[in-house]
Amino acid sequence: MSRQNSVMIMLGLWLMLAVVPASAAPQRLVADLSQNNVEITSSYHGTELLLFGAFEGSDGDDVVLLVSGPQIRLAQRRSDKVAGIWVNVETNIWENAPSFYHVFSTRPLAEIATPDTLRAARIGARSLPLEFTRQGGAQNGHEQSAKATTANAATIASADMIGGLIRNMQDMGLWAEKTAAVTLQRNMLFRATLDLPKNVPPGNYEVRVVHFRDGDVLSEEMTGMKIKKAGLSALIYNFAHDYSAFYGLFAIVFAVCSGWLAAVAFRRK
Amino acid sequence: MYIYLPIAEVSMHIGIIIGLGGGVGFLSGLFGVGGGFLMTPLLIFFGIPPAVAVSTEANQIVASSVSGVLAHMRRGNVDFKMGGILMLGGVIGSSLGVVLFSFLRSIGQIDLVIKLSYVVFLGIIGALMLAESLRTIMRSRKPGGTRGKLHQHNWLHGLPFKMRFRRSKLYISAILPLAIGAFVGVLAAIMGVGGGFIMVPAMIYLLGMPTSVVVGTSLFQIIFVTANVTLLQSIQTQTVDFVLAGLLLFGAVIGAQFGSRASSVLRGEQLRGLLALLVLAVCVKIGYDLVVRPEDLLSVELLK
Repeated sequence: MSRQNSVMIMLGLWLMLAVVPASAAPQRLVADLSQNNVEITSSYHGTELLLFGAFEGSDGDDVVLLVSGPQIRLAQRRSDKVAGIWVNVETNIWENAPSFYHVFSTRPLAEIATPDTLRAARIGARSLPLEFTRQGGAQNGHEQSAKATTANAATIASADMIGGLIRNMQDMGLWAEKTAAVTLQRNMLFRATLDLPKNVPPGNYEVRVVHFRDGDVLSEEMTGMKIKKAGLSALIYNFAHDYSAFYGLFAIVFAVCSGWLAAVAFRRK
Repeated sequence: MYIYLPIAEVSMHIGIIIGLGGGVGFLSGLFGVGGGFLMTPLLIFFGIPPAVAVSTEANQIVASSVSGVLAHMRRGNVDFKMGGILMLGGVIGSSLGVVLFSFLRSIGQIDLVIKLSYVVFLGIIGALMLAESLRTIMRSRKPGGTRGKLHQHNWLHGLPFKMRFRRSKLYISAILPLAIGAFVGVLAAIMGVGGGFIMVPAMIYLLGMPTSVVVGTSLFQIIFVTANVTLLQSIQTQTVDFVLAGLLLFGAVIGAQFGSRASSVLRGEQLRGLLALLVLAVCVKIGYDLVVRPEDLLSVELLK
C-alpha cells in the first residue's frame, strides 16, 4: 500500500521536473520518504520504507542517503580469558553515537570522494563525531577519560576498537553501509529502500541526501521522520516507565490472578 | 504471527513464546519444579535482553507458584510459620539481589555472574540429585534397606532464637531458615529463578523438614520472593515485560497439565534422575559458553 503511494509520488515528482525548466535555480534537491511517521505497534516486525527524491544531475553524479536515529551512549566491552573463562576486562564508552545509522550510496563511498571530503561532509561510520571515554579495565578501576572521534580516535582508541564498534553495530542491524543501493533514473530521480529492523530504536530520525559531482558535494538536503511506539505497546511502555511502582503491582496482581485461574481450571478437569 | 514486546523492545513469534512456555511448563509439570532455571537461559538465547529475561521470569514464577501452592494448601502441606520466616529472609535477600544485579549490570559483569551462578548451583544440585536418585534406584533393587532417623542433629541446631514449627515438627533456631531464605533470595534475583531447586534440598538436608511439607512451603515463599523481585525491578530498571510473562504463562499452564499426567508413568527416583540430567545439561551448556572463545571479543551495549 505504502509502496503504491510512493510510486504515485514519484510519478508526480517526475511530471513536475518535466514541466519546470531545469535551469531555474542552482542545483535543486528534493527528498522524501514513503512514510514520515512509523508506528511500532504490537504487530510490528520490521518494515520497509522508500527513500526517494529528485535532483538535477548529470552523468557520473553520485547520491548518498544517510538515515540516522537518536543519539545514545554505547558501552563497548572487550573480553579476554581470565582463569580459563572469557570475561569482560575493559569497558569503553562512545558518546553521541547514532542508535541507527544506515548509509546508502550509488557506489562504494571510497570511490565517490576522498576520506577528507567524506569526513568534512560527515558521511560514513568513520566520520561520526563520537566521543570516546576509556573507563579502564575492571582491574584498575579508575576512569581514564579522553575524547576522540572515530575519525581521529586512532591515538586513544585503537583501530581495532573502531572497527569492532562498526562491526558490532552492523551485526545488530543498527548500522549499515549499503553501496549500489541508490537507484538513479535519468539523472533526475533517486530512490533507495530503507529496511527498518525489528529492533529499530524509536525516536526522531534525520534523513540527509547529499549530491556529489566529481568527488565534491554539490548540494544537500535534509528531512526527518519519527519512529514511535503506538497503540497497546506504547501504552504498556509508558505505564512501565511513568508509573513504575503501579506497573510492578499490576504485574504481580495479574500474575496472582492468572495463577489462581489456572489452578481452578486444573481442578475442574 | 509476530508480537512486539513493549519492554523487551524486540518482536518475537507468538508461537515461539507459547511453545517455550509449553515446553518448560511440560517439564515443570513432569518434575514438579518451577522451571525458571530453564526458561531464563532460553529467553536470553532467543534474544530477550538478560535483564528483561530475569525480571520477566520472576513475574511468571509468581503466577506458576500461586497455582502450584493452592493444591498443596488444600492438602495442608504448607508450613506457614516456616514459610513466613523463609519469606522474610527471601525478601531481604532478593532486595539485595536486585541492587547487586543493577550494580553488576552497570560494570558490565552481569552476564558473567548469571552464567557462573548457573554453572555452580546447577552443577552442585544436579550432581547431588543424580547421586541420590542412583542410590535410590540401586537400593530399591536390593530388598531390606534400613530407614534412618527423621533428620540428623548438627551444630546448626544449637543456634539461639529457637522457634517451634508445629507443621514441620521442628524446634530450631529461626536464624537458619532466615539465612537460607536470604541466600536463595539473592540467587533468585540474579538468576531469574524461583530458587526451589536450592530451597527444597536446603529444607530437607539443612532444616530437616519432612518431605511432605517441603514443596508447598517452598512454593509459598517463592510467591513473595518473586513478587518482590517483580516490584523492585519494575521500579528500578523497568525490565518486567508482562506481555511476555502472560504469553509464557499461557503456554506453561497447558504444558504443565500434560507434564503432570506424564509424570504418573515414571517412578519418583527415575524422575529425579532425569531431572538431574536435565539440570546438568543446562549447566554444561552454559559452562561451555564460558570456556569457548567468543566469536567476537568486542561487544556493544546500547546505554540510552
